Amino acid sequence: MRSSAQRALMLGPALVLLAVFMLVPIAIAGYLSFTDWDGLTPNPNPVGWANYQRLLSDVDVRNAAVVTLVITVVGTIGCNAAGLGLALLLNRRNRFTSLLRAVVFYPYVVGPIIIGFLWSAILGADGVIANAVIPVPFLSDPVWAVGSITFVVVWSQFGVNVVLYLAGLQTVPPSLLEAATVDGAGRWQTFRAVTWPVLAPSVTVNIVLVLVGLLRVYEIVLALTGGGPAGRTSTFAFLILSSSFRSNQLGYGAAQAITLMVVIGALALGVTALRQRAEKAVAA
Amino acid sequence: MIRRLILLPVVILMVVPAYLLVVNSFKSQQDITQEPFGIPLPRLSVDYLLGALNSPDFSLVKAYIVTALFAVGVNVLSLLVSGPAAYVIARGTRIGHRALLVLFLVGMFIPSQVLVIPVIYVLKTLGLMGTVPGFLLFETTLTLPISMFLYVSYIKTLPRELDEAARMDGAGPFTTFWRIIFPLMKPAVVTAIVLHTIGVWTDFVNPQIILGPASSLYTVTTSVYAAIGKYSTDFTVVYPNLLVAVVPVLAFFVFLQRNIVSGLTTGATKG
Repeated sequence: MRSSAQRALMLGPALVLLAVFMLVPIAIAGYLSFTDWDGLTPNPNPVGWANYQRLLSDVDVRNAAVVTLVITVVGTIGCNAAGLGLALLLNRRNRFTSLLRAVVFYPYVVGPIIIGFLWSAILGADGVIANAVIPVPFLSDPVWAVGSITFVVVWSQFGVNVVLYLAGLQTVPPSLLEAATVDGAGRWQTFRAVTWPVLAPSVTVNIVLVLVGLLRVYEIVLALTGGGPAGRTSTFAFLILSSSFRSNQLGYGAAQAITLMVVIGALALGVTALRQRAEKAVAA
Repeated sequence: MIRRLILLPVVILMVVPAYLLVVNSFKSQQDITQEPFGIPLPRLSVDYLLGALNSPDFSLVKAYIVTALFAVGVNVLSLLVSGPAAYVIARGTRIGHRALLVLFLVGMFIPSQVLVIPVIYVLKTLGLMGTVPGFLLFETTLTLPISMFLYVSYIKTLPRELDEAARMDGAGPFTTFWRIIFPLMKPAVVTAIVLHTIGVWTDFVNPQIILGPASSLYTVTTSVYAAIGKYSTDFTVVYPNLLVAVVPVLAFFVFLQRNIVSGLTTGATKG
């Protein structure tokens, strides 16, 4: 067989999977978002931009957008601050620090649905804190509940940031750190002048990864609050699945899904571009 | 000293939930609600754990085997599909190859909540909805962005002279990849396997929706969800089920910690 034909065959399966299970579904979602389909009737009716217009005035959507925004902004700051802070404290090799690294990291391996159930047994109305410490409506009051979700998300994910920042810290040249010490720079000055500029690309990667991850928080909400009370803790990702399944509004759910996808893409690109400018400024 | 003062509360915050999970898996409902932190030695019992292992509705042990097989299946498929494709893209010189890579990488930013509903219709059309092959194919597609990213950047670090030498000996691209390049890709393959295994293991939305309760095939996450549900306050069910679900994963983690950490690091920082 000719080698160009072989190359095409080697690319083929990956492209077929990508087309069938990613591109075609996105196209279907795009099409459905302009229909009123309920998932039951054989033919969806076209409704133009009605679903997107409805998004703008829907109280549930607005609420989900606010909840998602709070979780994403607070969570991104929390994960990065905790991740960088701990990485700086753990940036030396001994048995104690490698144990600590494992301790902050394990929730990632356990996965969000199980972490969510564990924390709901701790924070719930009949849970550990309510029974043994003080009854706080961690999950039953909407404001507390959004706070609880954000906390659990950060708790379960910042270990990844610790690991990534630790890897970034390995790229700081020891000679520069020594030079700073010789020049009489204090810890903070050394950090500002040496470590922080070298870390700039790590900061970008960490922010983008957390941002993209937090915009799609679903399982922790499902396990902790089920979106309640009264839908007040639904994230955007949660709303998409509940519109589509529980209320049989697949067209409307598709419009929400497409919106989320566009927002994630725009944010990922926007943050990367902004950070690239910051990285260049730091390098100059 | 200051370091320890800051680290101590962090350690406590991270470890206490795990401690509660372990001790409360052996306690009665009354002991759990009255003294969640306590260890009432004479009243501890393994009955609750046995209950979680022998639930009449479904078997967590079976869920474990199913999930492990899914992880193996997805990893094998992912390697077979993305390895050769990554090789062609990494060695390609045309702008089209670069565009293809970008197309694969964009998949990383698409939430599965966006895909999973339209995927149902694709799978129904193909007659694969609610079936294991359908689930494996979709889950494999979700691994492609990470695999392609890791493999393409790794293959680019391998000298092209290897390919040239193989071509002189009359080998086509297919043989060159599997015989010459693939054996050198071990670090990238290990990284991909670790990341995909965690991905399949912790995935909840896709098995729940695509396999569904109708197929009676539960993964660990979907069976825990079925066992606990969101309104359950029977802690003698909650804690033991979670513990049984967590222990083997943590064992995997302890054994492979180094690989997981280095895998994540290369996965996120290269390129």
